[in-house]
Amino acid sequence: MSERKIVFYTRRAIFLLTAVVVAIPLLVKIEMPVVVGWPARNLYEAVERVPPDKIVVVSISWSAGSKGETAPQTTALIRHLAKSGKRFAIWSFSDIQGPELAQAIAAPLADEYKRKYGVDWVNWGYKSGAASMMRGWAQDIWGTIKEDRNGTPVAKLPFMQKAHSYKDIGLIIDISAGSLSGTPTFRYYVQFLKGIYNVPVGCACTGVMAAETFPYLDSKQIVGMLRGLAGAAEYEELVGFHGEGIRRMTAQSFAHLFVIALIILGNVGYFLGKRRSAQSPSPQEQQK
Amino acid sequence: MSNPDLLVVWIGAICTLAVYSILYRENPVFRFFEHLFVGLATGYSVQTVISQILVPQWGKPLVVEGKWYWIFALLVGAMFYFVYSKRQVWIARWAMGLFIGFGAGLGIVGFVTEFVPQITASFKPIVEFSTGRLGFNNLLIFLTLIAVMSYFFFSLEHKNRALSGSAQAGRWLLMIAFGAIFGNTVMARVSLFIDRMQFLLFDWLKLPHPH
Repeated sequence: MSERKIVFYTRRAIFLLTAVVVAIPLLVKIEMPVVVGWPARNLYEAVERVPPDKIVVVSISWSAGSKGETAPQTTALIRHLAKSGKRFAIWSFSDIQGPELAQAIAAPLADEYKRKYGVDWVNWGYKSGAASMMRGWAQDIWGTIKEDRNGTPVAKLPFMQKAHSYKDIGLIIDISAGSLSGTPTFRYYVQFLKGIYNVPVGCACTGVMAAETFPYLDSKQIVGMLRGLAGAAEYEELVGFHGEGIRRMTAQSFAHLFVIALIILGNVGYFLGKRRSAQSPSPQEQQK
Repeated sequence: MSNPDLLVVWIGAICTLAVYSILYRENPVFRFFEHLFVGLATGYSVQTVISQILVPQWGKPLVVEGKWYWIFALLVGAMFYFVYSKRQVWIARWAMGLFIGFGAGLGIVGFVTEFVPQITASFKPIVEFSTGRLGFNNLLIFLTLIAVMSYFFFSLEHKNRALSGSAQAGRWLLMIAFGAIFGNTVMARVSLFIDRMQFLLFDWLKLPHPH
């Protein structure tokens, strides 16, 4: 078999093995322990601190493409809000699909904990306008939102009677999978809500975004953070409900161990190959 | 499961497998589904822009509530289309100028409120004055900052031992940071794969859920 063919089939074999490694912990009951980190714990405690007269805004800045990470985060966060009786509003200023996908998560959870739509929680839908809209929204929620995703005017929603401006917001959590005009979505809240009105902001982001989000934790511009699927699992542990996050983390850990093994194997192969080529005589030496 | 739900699951499974077929090699099935997704996403966006932005946020105030001044939004928006006219392009420039000025103003506010607190937060004491103890994390941040900055210092040739040593350390520290970012990226991509795998195993193939 030619070297080209070996490389071709080796790569495909790795893809197939990855699928097998991920599938095994999903099919067999194996659960690995979840260690809760301080960024997740801080976010959990920030939610707990929200007083009953204030609302929590859950900003859905993700779409179907990142559902694998952000849906378990959204589920864990909304479960906590519904369970603890916090009044919450769902919306998005960056992703059109976001409020629809979150509705599918929030509605059954609200039913489970007997939270009434329009009273305990609302879905404001998608609102465009980014930074300029957000500045207006902070000062006049009614004037910016106007109606919820079902087309009900805000004046008719009992929830909205205590939601007029930033003064009524106890916490904003942006579940973020990307950026809007090159700026990660949670930074809009940092700039215009935390920076101007000192409204607490939390963030649940994808694993890719985690590294660049950490400085905002250090500077206390965000109160806490969930990092990808691991963050969702940590939050589930804190809420006391073992859901998709914890279930998937076992498969995730298996995949990581497999990747580490491949990295070691690849490096061993590389150095052995290098040593062999150093020991074998060069073409010039062979000619002599 | 009702028939429509079953159909949705089957369509989802076929789409997933078609997209993953690229892992074997480039093929027409993958290309077809790739274009299908682009078309679907565009159609969905257009529909949502009309139903959630144009109609409720512009059309309704203008037509139903009689707020005639919303017509100016249409006029300013239409000004952008003069970019296609060589003679009247100045009209588009006016609209662009207006929006650039508006964006720049907001950008300055955003910069100040976002980065000033971060700069302030980076001024951390290496020795805590109240306790007299060495703040190891703060020292690490300080040394990393110096090392990485010296790596990107190009005004002097890195011949000096102190500078080249610091730049070398900065390079290693950058590599560690890139490794951390890449590790998080691997975690993110595996998470997406697990989501699809769960869908295929339990929603489509209906294998028993062990949990």
